[in-house]
Amino acid sequence: MDPKPSMTFIDKPVDHDTITVIKAGILRFSEPNKYWIESSHKRFIPTVGDTVLGIVVDKRADSFFVDIKGPMVAFLPVLAFEGGTRRNIPKYEVGALIYARIVNANTGMNPELSCMDASGKAAEFGLLKDGYMFESSTGLSRMLLSSPTCPVLEGLGKKLAFEIAVGLNGRVWVNAEHPSSIILVANAIMNSESLTPVQQKIMVERLLDRVN
Amino acid sequence: MEQRLGNTWRMTVNEKKFIESALESELRVDGRRPFDYRTLTIKFAREDGSSEVQLGQTHVMSFVTSQLVQPYRDRPNEGTLSVFTEFSPMADPSFEAGRPSESAVELGRIIDRGLRESRAVDTESLCVVSGKWVWSIRLDLHILDNGGNLVDAANIAALAALLTFRRPECTLGGDDGQEVILHPPEVREPLPLIIHHLPIAVTFAFIGEELMVIDPTHHEEAVMGGRMSVTLNANGDVYAIQKAGGHGVMQGVVMQCLRIASVKTGDITSKIKTVVESYKTERALRMVKRHAPSNAADVNEPDQKAKQILEGQKLKSEECSVSQSDDMDVEQDRINKRSKKNRSFTGRPSSWDPYSEGVNTDELEATLASRGSVAVPMNLDNLGDNIRDETKSDEPLSDVNPVSSSTDTAGKEMSISREKTLQDAVKPKNKREKKKSSKIAAV
Repeated sequence: MDPKPSMTFIDKPVDHDTITVIKAGILRFSEPNKYWIESSHKRFIPTVGDTVLGIVVDKRADSFFVDIKGPMVAFLPVLAFEGGTRRNIPKYEVGALIYARIVNANTGMNPELSCMDASGKAAEFGLLKDGYMFESSTGLSRMLLSSPTCPVLEGLGKKLAFEIAVGLNGRVWVNAEHPSSIILVANAIMNSESLTPVQQKIMVERLLDRVN
Repeated sequence: MEQRLGNTWRMTVNEKKFIESALESELRVDGRRPFDYRTLTIKFAREDGSSEVQLGQTHVMSFVTSQLVQPYRDRPNEGTLSVFTEFSPMADPSFEAGRPSESAVELGRIIDRGLRESRAVDTESLCVVSGKWVWSIRLDLHILDNGGNLVDAANIAALAALLTFRRPECTLGGDDGQEVILHPPEVREPLPLIIHHLPIAVTFAFIGEELMVIDPTHHEEAVMGGRMSVTLNANGDVYAIQKAGGHGVMQGVVMQCLRIASVKTGDITSKIKTVVESYKTERALRMVKRHAPSNAADVNEPDQKAKQILEGQKLKSEECSVSQSDDMDVEQDRINKRSKKNRSFTGRPSSWDPYSEGVNTDELEATLASRGSVAVPMNLDNLGDNIRDETKSDEPLSDVNPVSSSTDTAGKEMSISREKTLQDAVKPKNKREKKKSSKIAAV
């Protein structure tokens, strides 16, 4: 439709303007005049406002280099934390998992991240400790973040207690009390991408029965 | 600067900690227990000697080809076996095309040692003329997807391919009894290799201080402190142990690994044997005669047989033709003599009939018996196309369309001595497509 990767506004087409599809995916519509194509990839194209899970790969004096599965490594300024000053710079080692928000994503430039929301609060951003992170596709991430809650998470949430962080770049982090719950949740989510809601419910029920 | 590494997979500290802590409760990330193998699938292509193995996410293909060569001077009675590995860049972002990396060389060596030191493949039966001609078996391993534990998967692929490979039969003949005559597969059934036993490789990964798992996945391999591969067969004979670097293990642990491995070997060996057996029966069924419709016209009978010969040849003689190309000089005189006789045989259309049946071995033999030398030179002519150095080809073969590349040869043109018809104009395209499709099926 439009060269923009994820979302685009299309008004009523003016005369002589035609809409052409350039990506494969599901056509979605939202009132009153928003159409967009949703597709699922393993690669991530950074866009402003997306929340992603990044892995720290390097540290510089003024920023961390964070890998977000995009074409370029992103950087996270050292001061982009709530109450961040030169005195209390967080110490992230290489390989640390960060939940952050993209504030700047121009093509050709390294994207910029921040661990604050728009109003300057921490709001769950920052380092994720323990747990297990796995990678899948962007379509799965969107499904997990959709509202109403997707059947997989609902089914699992009824029986297990766990916390989950979903990055729009295809990374998902799961944490729970016991490793067995973590493994169960992770495998259930990984299997659910191509299933319909009904199939997801059945899959989760079978999995939980088998374990208990 | 960092952009080049944009595609590499990175490990988080969370994952490393989690894999270790889950293992302490005997759980692995994909739900397996520490000594469980992933699902193993073995598939074969239509051609003999080609196999495809999937072990979880790991995907390996293996091809076996043979060639007549001169033996090594210190072993004039033995054939040779050589293993080549190719780590395709599509398997893993860290694999690079070109020079094989250290792990690629190590993989090749483990498989080679397992087969050679254990004498699994009988090399003495590969000798044709002592000191002059022996069969050289070449085993190519292609890694298509790296999901961890390439050694085991590649080993299984190699064994499956060797078990289903068939080399052309050859006899001694000629004026002085020293000439080697290779028989194409339609004339004489190709022979399987003699394999005494199956050496199976089992890989262990050591994670943390005391934890050990079998068949590690890609993530577990990134976290492990050391790795050990043991090669043994179902009888419990240990052929090789490979432990290159990594943190040390106690002697007791090594013995424990061997015990566990011998149990796993039994499973894997029986799996391989079952799959190979079913492939062999399927292959035999393919050769079984199918009844031709009674009024498909006796007029067309000779054509049918010609087509069948063509068809059978295309599918089967691709590797044979490659292996025979070196030997063509030996056969040149014979080809020339026989193709001259072929000239008198005309009028047979060679259109590619999409409804032709498979090869009828009985009818084929009858044809050969009745026609004598005429049917055979057709095959040899076809093989003559595959000669790499055309300078040696004689006059009758120069009528054949010049071979552009050695890959696009087998079965290209049979119309040495037939008149050109409209069907001939159509035929090459169809044949090439048929060839492509048979190649795709095989590769």
